[in-house]
Amino acid sequence: MTRRGDTIGIVGAGSFGTALGSVLARAGRRVVLWSRDPAVADAINRDRSCPRLPRAPLPEPLEATADPRRVAGEARFLVMAVRSTDVRDRARELGGFLDGSHIVVHAVGALAAPGNERVSEVMAQGLPTLKLGVLAGPSLPADLAEGQYSSMVVASAFDEVVGEARRLLNAPPTLRVYGSKDLAGVELASALSGAYTVALGLCDGLGIGAGPRVVLITRAVAEASRLGQAAGAEARTFAGLAGLGNLLARSSERSADYELGRRLADGVVTADAARTEGARAAIAGDALARKLRVRMPVLSGVAAVLAGRAEPREAAQLVGDNVATEE
Amino acid sequence: MASDRPVREAENRLERFNADRERLLAEVERRVVARRIAESRQGGDASLEYVLNDVAFCEIRRLEASHGKNGALGRWRDLSRRLMTMSDEDKQGELRALVRHYGQDVVGNFDPRVYRFATGVGPSLLGVLFNPTGSLREGARALRNVDARITADGEIDIARACAERGTIVVTPTHSSNMDSPAIGLGLLRAHLPPTTYGAGKNLFSNPFISFFMRNLGAYRVDRRLKFELYKDVLKEYSTVLLEHGYHSLFFPGGTRCRSNLVEKHLKLGLLGTTVTAYKNLVREGQPHKRIYIVPATINYRLVLEAETLIDDYLAETGKNRYIITDDEFSRIGRLLEFFRKILVHEGSVVVRFGRPYDPFGNEITDDGESLDRAGRVVDPASFVRGAEGEVTDDDQRDAEYTRALGRRLAEVYPRLTVFHATHLLARVLYDELARRAGTRDIYRLIRVAPATCAVPVGDAEAALVKLRARLAATPAWGAEHPLLAPQAAGAVIEDAVRGLGTYHTRPAVTRDADTLHVEDVKLLYYYQNRTAHIPVEGAA
Repeated sequence: MTRRGDTIGIVGAGSFGTALGSVLARAGRRVVLWSRDPAVADAINRDRSCPRLPRAPLPEPLEATADPRRVAGEARFLVMAVRSTDVRDRARELGGFLDGSHIVVHAVGALAAPGNERVSEVMAQGLPTLKLGVLAGPSLPADLAEGQYSSMVVASAFDEVVGEARRLLNAPPTLRVYGSKDLAGVELASALSGAYTVALGLCDGLGIGAGPRVVLITRAVAEASRLGQAAGAEARTFAGLAGLGNLLARSSERSADYELGRRLADGVVTADAARTEGARAAIAGDALARKLRVRMPVLSGVAAVLAGRAEPREAAQLVGDNVATEE
Repeated sequence: MASDRPVREAENRLERFNADRERLLAEVERRVVARRIAESRQGGDASLEYVLNDVAFCEIRRLEASHGKNGALGRWRDLSRRLMTMSDEDKQGELRALVRHYGQDVVGNFDPRVYRFATGVGPSLLGVLFNPTGSLREGARALRNVDARITADGEIDIARACAERGTIVVTPTHSSNMDSPAIGLGLLRAHLPPTTYGAGKNLFSNPFISFFMRNLGAYRVDRRLKFELYKDVLKEYSTVLLEHGYHSLFFPGGTRCRSNLVEKHLKLGLLGTTVTAYKNLVREGQPHKRIYIVPATINYRLVLEAETLIDDYLAETGKNRYIITDDEFSRIGRLLEFFRKILVHEGSVVVRFGRPYDPFGNEITDDGESLDRAGRVVDPASFVRGAEGEVTDDDQRDAEYTRALGRRLAEVYPRLTVFHATHLLARVLYDELARRAGTRDIYRLIRVAPATCAVPVGDAEAALVKLRARLAATPAWGAEHPLLAPQAAGAVIEDAVRGLGTYHTRPAVTRDADTLHVEDVKLLYYYQNRTAHIPVEGAA
């Protein structure tokens, strides 16, 4: 029987949680995945397939359960991989079975509605443990499931969280996990990179050139760093895996945020504009920037398009016109 | 809390301190020496040679700077010279001797006779001190009224229950050297047991205060000793005291708050020993021996050292002056003036206790059980356990827990703040000055023209009414003094002017017919700072 300290619990059988569980189980780690939906848990255990990651065959050792008590009892280290809109409820539900010894890192690349709080702040309200962290970086679910090389960063105020995450998640030879103490920075960088991915999709959809595209990316990193610093984070985090790294990875054709941007540029789909994590992060980040009085023209432009306050070309023009005096 | 837990232990545990003292010191010595010897095997900075050299180097530097006695200097120079040739046994012997020496320097004393005097006869003496020109009869009357001068309120019942069920650590705000006697009397008023506490060695220079502190369980903290071994001894002493059930008191702010702002950034200091002590208890199989952190604020109508503190805060050099030895506290005349002019005022000091936390910053139930942020009961022992239920040592984790606790304390202090008339009037006048000058920057306001500092009483009353209404609507900001509640704005202003205009060497505010004059903007700033967490009206 694998020791509790060597077992990884994954909360949420979405595409990222399932892909991460899959790659870890394949590398010999014991992984217990909690899905609220018993049918999903059954499908994973019986058919070795997950509805949210249909093209990836799941390895035999990956176990799933619909019982949060089981995942809390069998694993001390947990990865919360649910939608930002579900974090609050999941934390509260799971919290009833955890204690102060548990370690919980989340892999949610967004801010939590309705207060636009960082996800770790929301988790802290629902979980008894103080040992919280974030896992972020340019690791797309499909890449993970296919065994492509992936890198992520785990951040926490607790060295123990970072140490345990690196010990447990570094098992597969294709996965590298770096450590950081900048919890707020990694959370914000990860959330905002989703928002900027929508912006990049928009620009690519509008057919802007390679030069302006790079300008957009660099200005995005610069303004995200400003917001991060205002929120107590370190500026350099935004140029790292969780920020720039995430943005470059997500802006490939395989991310929902990027696809949303493209569709918006084409003038289609506004009803589901707020349904991706990047879209939610853009709206939440824009609100946070206003609260902290940080000038963020790119983010404001994306938020305006998502909210239907501006047409894509109009927003792009506004962003281009809004030139700061210093870089 | 489970029924098998020991209760009714709230009696004065310090009564047994003198009998325990040698045992406690021996335990401190045993732990520190064992830990240092074990760590020395790693070599480098942990080697005994390095540890002893650190002590010798710091002591030589300190004594040279203070022109210390040659004999004392010679002892450290000799150690420094011998270090290279000392055997391991010699080094261990030297380490043991040093730990014992600093342990003896730190350790406190508790004399039950002094405690009885301080809590019985003492207040009548204080009563005379409050009014030295009055008669003994007046002193006796002052004794009867002492309750009215230093009052204690807040979550007293649950603090008392915690003191019966476990060990309490009182964590008050810190704004004056009078805090030690004030909180001592506050605990007495609240029928809470006396606590042991670490007091800066400089406080022992005042013979009057020193006598009581020496004999009421205070232990000495010498902030001049910067080397790690001394800090180790100090922390271990505090840890051992907590493990043995001695109620303690720490000022998490570290030193007196120079600005009079409600403390937000706490140094924490010895507060971290609460986690260590509880962890040790869990390891020894006694997780039921709980430790509770009781937040408190000490709220003065007027602060003895206000002039020195605010000067220090505003001066550039103030940032480096951690220990002030030449303030009002060191002058007996000023101290008596404080007693006579400040403490005679009814309700001039309010100690307000908050609801206790566990050492991890969790709130607790009325029965002393820890609650997580979602309000569910959680086992506090689980915070120091590893994956398989074993107790684990992790200094960084424990420091983070203490920071979390510190954040909880910083969050609750504003709510526990009690505003005297002096604070409210200072805020109203400061707001008006700032409005007229177009800035809240104190350095610019200090230079405003005298005409700017004259405020019609009617305007001040109107602003005060608004401020009080906002305060009443927002308990998270604190509350006005209970005695102010029935008073109209005019009476509150009168009371404030009497305080701000008569105690300090230069009046902060005076009244001339229907006009209030700000005479000392720095002092006004100092008193208004207590309300600085309240946003300016109309500000987002």
